[in-house]
Amino acid sequence: MWPFIARSLEVATILLIAAIGELLNQRSGVINVGIEGLMLLGAAAGFITASIWGLIPAFVIGMMIGGLFGLIHSILSTSLKVNQVVSGMGIWLFAMGFVTYWADRYSGPLPRGVVSPRIYELSPMFFIALIIVIVMWFILSKTHLGLKIKSVGENPFAAEVSGVKVIRTRYLCTIIGGMLAGLSGAFLSTTYLGAWSHLPTKGLGWIAFALVMFSLWRPMILLGGSLIFGFIWQFAISPETIYAGIPAPLPILRMLPFIATIAVLIIISREKFRKKWALSKPEALGEPYIKE
Amino acid sequence: MISLEALKLKLERIPVVSGGQAVRISLLSLVLSFIIFSVFLSIEGANPIDAYTNIFSFAFDPNLGLPTTLHRGLFLLFSTLAFIIPYSARLWNVGMEGQFYLGTIGAFAVAYSLPTLHPALLISLMLLSGALFGAGYGALAGYLRGKLNVNEVVGCLMLNNIAFWLIYLLTVGGPWAGIAESTSRPLPPNAHAPMIFYTPFTSYLAVGIAVVLYIFLSKSVLGYKIRVLGNSPTAAQHIGINAPRTYILVMTIGGAIAGLSGYHMWAGDPAFLMIPRPEAYKAIGDLTYWGLIIGLVCLLNSLAAVPLSIFIGSIMTGSTVLVRRLRLPFGLDVLFLGLVSITFAAFQFFYMYRIRRMK
Amino acid sequence: MGYEDMDGKIEGGETILEVRGLTKIYPGGVVALDNVDLEFKSGEIHAILGENGAGKTTLMNILFGVLQPDRGEIYMYGRKVRFRSPLDAINMGIGMVHQLRKLIPAHTVLENIILGHPRAGRILDFKKMRREVEELCGKYGFRINLDARVWQLSAGEQQLVEIIRALYRGAKILILDEPTSVLTPLEAEAFLNSLKTMSKQEIALVPFVTHKLPEVFAISDRVTILRKGRVVKRLETKDATMKALAEYMVGREVLFALSKPKVNIGEEILRVENLSAMNDKGLPAIRGVSFTIREGEIFGVAGVSGNGQQELAEVLAGLRRAETGKIIFMGKDITNAPVLERLKMGIGYIPSERLGVGVIGGFSLVENILMSLYFDKEFVNRGLLNYKKIREYAEKVVSEFEVVAPSINTKAAHLSGGNLQRLVLSRVIPRTSKLLIANLPTTGLDVAATEYVRKRLLDCKEMGMGVLLISDDLDEVLQLSDRIAPIYEGRFVSIIPAEEAKKEVVGAMMTGAYPGR
Repeated sequence: MWPFIARSLEVATILLIAAIGELLNQRSGVINVGIEGLMLLGAAAGFITASIWGLIPAFVIGMMIGGLFGLIHSILSTSLKVNQVVSGMGIWLFAMGFVTYWADRYSGPLPRGVVSPRIYELSPMFFIALIIVIVMWFILSKTHLGLKIKSVGENPFAAEVSGVKVIRTRYLCTIIGGMLAGLSGAFLSTTYLGAWSHLPTKGLGWIAFALVMFSLWRPMILLGGSLIFGFIWQFAISPETIYAGIPAPLPILRMLPFIATIAVLIIISREKFRKKWALSKPEALGEPYIKE
Repeated sequence: MISLEALKLKLERIPVVSGGQAVRISLLSLVLSFIIFSVFLSIEGANPIDAYTNIFSFAFDPNLGLPTTLHRGLFLLFSTLAFIIPYSARLWNVGMEGQFYLGTIGAFAVAYSLPTLHPALLISLMLLSGALFGAGYGALAGYLRGKLNVNEVVGCLMLNNIAFWLIYLLTVGGPWAGIAESTSRPLPPNAHAPMIFYTPFTSYLAVGIAVVLYIFLSKSVLGYKIRVLGNSPTAAQHIGINAPRTYILVMTIGGAIAGLSGYHMWAGDPAFLMIPRPEAYKAIGDLTYWGLIIGLVCLLNSLAAVPLSIFIGSIMTGSTVLVRRLRLPFGLDVLFLGLVSITFAAFQFFYMYRIRRMK
Repeated sequence: MGYEDMDGKIEGGETILEVRGLTKIYPGGVVALDNVDLEFKSGEIHAILGENGAGKTTLMNILFGVLQPDRGEIYMYGRKVRFRSPLDAINMGIGMVHQLRKLIPAHTVLENIILGHPRAGRILDFKKMRREVEELCGKYGFRINLDARVWQLSAGEQQLVEIIRALYRGAKILILDEPTSVLTPLEAEAFLNSLKTMSKQEIALVPFVTHKLPEVFAISDRVTILRKGRVVKRLETKDATMKALAEYMVGREVLFALSKPKVNIGEEILRVENLSAMNDKGLPAIRGVSFTIREGEIFGVAGVSGNGQQELAEVLAGLRRAETGKIIFMGKDITNAPVLERLKMGIGYIPSERLGVGVIGGFSLVENILMSLYFDKEFVNRGLLNYKKIREYAEKVVSEFEVVAPSINTKAAHLSGGNLQRLVLSRVIPRTSKLLIANLPTTGLDVAATEYVRKRLLDCKEMGMGVLLISDDLDEVLQLSDRIAPIYEGRFVSIIPAEEAKKEVVGAMMTGAYPGR
């Protein structure tokens, strides 16, 4: 039972790190649908780096490549005013092609010896993720920087008038969001999977994206959501650890996380939640900031 | 930071970009992606000019790549049209992948149930079924958005993933499994698509649909209503246009078109005539996202989508030659496509702004 | 410094801000400002008056650091300065109160005030800053709930937040953009008092005004009038008259009173009985409104924005559900009939929002006019639009309503405010046969365009249409209407025939001060 929980928590870690990054840039008003692509890039970069130099460099390089593409997304959508969804999708499609070219030749497990240290079978990254979430929560609710970030996401014109540097803030948040997505991907490939296969993210990035929306943009709710979906995902992969001899064929289980996501999306669209959701949503989310 | 004022440049908003300008901008972005790709080619030790010549001569050679170029290109056209209609109402139909899978299921279900039916009848039913299944899946996404206000990008992506597993369920060790356990049984011969000039008849169907859609959007009342909705939902409400119903309608039409591509893809290519292993059918499914890129680049003009889709199809087909004939590393072809995607996306900027020097 | 004269108005003291020779030319050659000289003294209320396009916005943006002038200098306390961004201006002591509020609705008042403040530190010390803000409010006599979310506040309260924000940042001069345009008379009075308090504290105040001319008299000591980018007149307010001000603004004689044509009032077209509806927040917006409109009659609903007029217009147009009550049009119950049905029955709606609602910027003139034609069989042939007929029709109405544009294929986004409204009118009026609902039809328009719109409304009356006019401009309502209904908090305080309506009385009713009848 415990191994199953440990693995679920690792999936939760993947979701949480990527999602908290997306939460940050969405709070500043930038939507990044390319999060799955950033995770892919981080996964590939991390895996290749780990094969050569080990685990810690893998995470660092993963973060850097995520940050790089976060920067590209920023340039395209914040400075060049390309539609944020287009920019994100462009990055995702590019990542699918590039990662296949770059990393598929390394398909297979990591070299021996490159293995994550584990505390009772749980990777320490889980705790790092928790720390990241708490730090993010603190920044957003208690610091001046957090107030500035939120104001940029709600009404960049009002923020500008108060002297907040809108463009700089959006760049910062998008790059950090990218870095976290890259880190999440590196963790996925090096630790959770420990091996490379074609496009290993398998839709996790999109679930992380959906989680940000469910969480009403609040880090603590996001934490809860990640735990739940981490469990659902892991259950879909290895249900026999919970119920031996489970009758449902595997593919139906694999659909579960996605069906669950749609179910939650429907629930939060009901009248009761809609108001709360609309009030929590950063008002300027997805809108390019055009001065004057 | 990156400030245009510091570079003595000025951003000037273009209210509307003309067709001619759009063509020029797309060509420029293609050239850029070719240049960037040349860098990768050089790293891998290949001569870029050599490579490109190989790519296009292969792609357009009637005895070699032309059938595949046309087949894949028109497959992309289906996806593009499936994207254009909903986007005219500003809905992001990124569910073409799932609708394509459902269309596949619809078509194959008919073929397996009625294998001995006369080809004309069987194929017609397969197409109808594929369209209906795709339409249904599109309607589902449309309903989620129109009536339940669920973000359609996330909704579609979820549905795509679910559809992937649906096919998996049927083919891998499932009721449709073939001899090789992870592909499906072959299609009955009566279901194969008749070829006309190197390409299945469904290619011509796609072009026909493009023409119909063009007329529909620009000249029909319904097309006008869709465009009003896409431009301003508030204005649409003020003149009596029912938004939820229209959203469901456009997604249904989009889904139907993407559903048709299911038959076209598998029954139209002699290399398949069945549903292949999951990696393979997923790779094809991933191609449907090109509908988004092509749709945006041709400014939602269904007619312009035809040549552009075929061109991208030629790049897809031709670049396989890099791996096979020139023995370059696996994945270079996909890389090329990835580069084209991102440069197209980046060049969207020029559809909106001109850079002028400041006095 | 300053001294109080007998009227309680303070003569200006030290010159805080001065501009000399300010010039701004936009690409394309449009001269927005031409050699403008101005000075603003502490404790003085110096109003800047001008039409749309006179250069006010440009001037404001330059003073606040949003734009750079092409020529000319700016001096603060005698020292030459350059504002590269609003932050520079703020740090120099210039504050701005915007017409379209630049606040964060989801945040609290306090959060809005302290945002970006250099003294706020890294970790927000709410306690300390709350104390400082409360002190500031006490000094000026401002009353506001610091913990309320801004979206919950009224327009007047939001404006107050902007003022406090600017003062807390150390502003010595406040630029106010159309400060009274959305205030109720009660709020306007409070605002006026706060202006007086601020000027006593030697803050310089610069209100920018377009067309609420009466307010200029109430609030300013000095007036400068801009026209086509130039300063055309400087006056002491006490020496000015409304007519003179308007003429300087426009440059020609302006008719203030349009003669109302004598029209026979005919049959009843619209009957509304006990209508109630909610607003977007789920609170009651209209509470039991009843009235009738007859052929050839203009029924004017006068009120300050936010009292239910928008919702009333929407319910009548079919865009909002009626909770209770009945709407009977030409004898038919249309209470919750869909929009399309009402359009087909001859009801026309001119929405308060022009671009994006009344008209679509990305569409050409033809495509916009099509918005009111697409459901008419005359222009549709088996599901396809008959573009030949549509174009003919469009040419006709565009010329009839004098919409100025290179061709009917021009995109609407290229049109100016007045022209846009003409386009809206050209789309709606010819297709309206019985009832026209005009919702804030002259908002944001300059004097010439306003005149045109009012003339058109009178034309509709002459043609035998019933017109429901919703307006926040009391003079406009009094001028055009046959019967007037002041609206307050979702109820008609009274319904008064125009001949009996007295401006002060109606004005008071709009604030709920008058119990009615």
